[in-house]
Amino acid sequence: MNLDKLQVDACIRSGWQALDLGFLMARAWFRSLYFAGLLAMTPLSAVLLLVFWESPFWALAIIWWLKPMWERLPLFIASRKLFDEKSDLWSSFKAFPLKDVLPWLLWRRFSMQRAFDNPVTVLEELKGVQRRQRLRVLHGKYSDVALGNQFVCFCFELLVWFGISLAISFFTPDALGIKVNDSHGDLTVLGEWMFSLSALAAMTLVLPFHSMAGFALYLNRRIELEAWDIEISFHNLANRKRAAAARSVGLLASSVFAVIVCLTASDGVDAATDHSRESASEMIEDVLQGEDFGQEKTLRKWRFRDWNEAVEEDTFPEWIIEFIEWWETNIGWSTDFSGTAALLKVILVLAFAGLLIYLLYRYRGPLSRLGRAGSTEQPPEVLFGLDVTPQSLPPDVPAQVMRLWGEGAYREALSLLYRASLSRLIDRHELAFRASHTEAECAALVKARGIESLSDYFWQLTVVWRQLAYGHQVPAGEIVQDLCRGWTTELSDVAE
Amino acid sequence: MLDTGYRVEIPGGINLDAQVVGPIPRCFAFAIDLAIRGIIFFVLLIASIPFGPTGLGGGFLLIFLFAVEWLYPVLFEVYWRGQTPGKKALGISVINDDLTPVTLGVSLVRNLLRSIDFIPLFYLVGLVTMLSNRRFQRLGDLAAGTLVISVRESNRPALQRDIVPLAPSTPLLRTEQTSIIEFLQRSQQLSEPRQRELAAILEGITHEKGDDGVEQLHRIGAWFLGVR
Repeated sequence: MNLDKLQVDACIRSGWQALDLGFLMARAWFRSLYFAGLLAMTPLSAVLLLVFWESPFWALAIIWWLKPMWERLPLFIASRKLFDEKSDLWSSFKAFPLKDVLPWLLWRRFSMQRAFDNPVTVLEELKGVQRRQRLRVLHGKYSDVALGNQFVCFCFELLVWFGISLAISFFTPDALGIKVNDSHGDLTVLGEWMFSLSALAAMTLVLPFHSMAGFALYLNRRIELEAWDIEISFHNLANRKRAAAARSVGLLASSVFAVIVCLTASDGVDAATDHSRESASEMIEDVLQGEDFGQEKTLRKWRFRDWNEAVEEDTFPEWIIEFIEWWETNIGWSTDFSGTAALLKVILVLAFAGLLIYLLYRYRGPLSRLGRAGSTEQPPEVLFGLDVTPQSLPPDVPAQVMRLWGEGAYREALSLLYRASLSRLIDRHELAFRASHTEAECAALVKARGIESLSDYFWQLTVVWRQLAYGHQVPAGEIVQDLCRGWTTELSDVAE
Repeated sequence: MLDTGYRVEIPGGINLDAQVVGPIPRCFAFAIDLAIRGIIFFVLLIASIPFGPTGLGGGFLLIFLFAVEWLYPVLFEVYWRGQTPGKKALGISVINDDLTPVTLGVSLVRNLLRSIDFIPLFYLVGLVTMLSNRRFQRLGDLAAGTLVISVRESNRPALQRDIVPLAPSTPLLRTEQTSIIEFLQRSQQLSEPRQRELAAILEGITHEKGDDGVEQLHRIGAWFLGVR
């Protein structure tokens, strides 16, 4: 038993959760467990079915009674798979223990906790008193859960049995003339065969789940009693400490090396932060190409064939034209003119109403904005932290700007120019800036106003201001002079 | 690694853990709910008799039957923390697959699709779909994006005896701390030879043998539990 290779997560579960784990085990190993059960069962079952050719229900009853025997091989294989040991079917079939089978087929056939008790017989190979003592230790509080497993899996078996039978009788064509019942309503031999075979199918299908649920419950109890999870964790801890001790010598050497590297590299770090503008924009490109920005995602969804999402033109619907053409060819206008006219009228009115609704829906955005335009919105007093009320401005803005510039207060100078421009734009041109707008959005709004020289000027000012404000790049004095001149022509003229 | 665990990582790198629940407990929960619905229906049946079983009473009875059949699970799941009485009895609960509580729409989808899961008789389709994915989602769960998880109530025993806590001599990972705490808390269930066996694995850390090793691990466990 090598706990490192344990294929299930060893942790303490409640009894019900252990049953769920068993179902997961059965799911994961279903193919081998299913065929193991089938293999164990087939030889004897085939003989029995041949013997009771005329009344297969007898064979079914015997096969069902012998069920504890068919459960052993899947359990044995599962116990090997649990520790990731390879076992081919044939060798495990030979190792398959037949011991203690008689009590299991006689009085223990009535046991309600078979799947839970089975591992003690099959894997621990205990008999008699030893077995009883072992079971007393194991059962504990899990007796009722084991009972629940037995009961529900029995129900599942019935469910699958009747489900398969029903599906067969649903999908058998009447034309084949197959009679499941005779004239008295009793089952025919064919009917008995159908029910027997579907019962065998149900039995083999449910068997892995039932016995794995019991096995998982047994495992859970052993994990609890023997603290497998603690053992695994302690082993990992001990291994980690051992590896860490081995590494620490190496670590000491490498840390000395690291200190030396850091000391010598400190000049290089300073040089690296001093980027020119070109290398900076390249670096930004690189960063934007990286994984953190943008990601690919594969989405799957249903859609119509030949659907082109890009095409959303407002054309007259094709189907109306087709419908009218169809009407012309098939019904015509002349047969009953008044009726056709009335119907057509209704159709046209409906179509018009539909078109109107569609148009209203299509242009709901602009329309709702139309409604809002009437309401007067207070212009903002502060944009990007700048006071843009007309009262805050000095009487002669360009002169004040140049004075500040001359004193070396570049930031104050340009911010005054910029906020004076904003203030004038709000005041004279009634531009609807909002506090949420960015500089570029403001510039776009100015452009939308359509005065080309003004928007060009404002864009130029915006660029210079942004570079100073956020990029800390002081523009040349001539540029500022140009901007002041521009302000006089573009914005202060309006005032006069 | 086979496990019934289900983990969701939320922004901030925090993991939310849950245990998905399989067919057997859900069957029992369903049976309890079925019995309760049966009782409700029986009471309604008796109450409808004075109004005429074929007339007004019968009509209302059918309407109530419809409402009880379809709304019983929905109302309980939405307004009672994802639990119908049957689920409450089994300690399980319905939840979205991102571990947020189910809403009305989600629960409606989940429960309306019962009619498909029921095909051809008594939830055979539901059983097969449940076993076809590792989260035990039936068709309705898959459509609504819900899970059935167990609501675990932890009832670990409080420390019984007085233990002098001891700080560990070496830093330990969180999982390792947990397992030492488990070693202390589950010492009642473990046999003494087994405890010595387990403590022997950590001899390199405790530097003690036999019962002294066990005792020292218990003291470290008490330290991790916050005893000072």
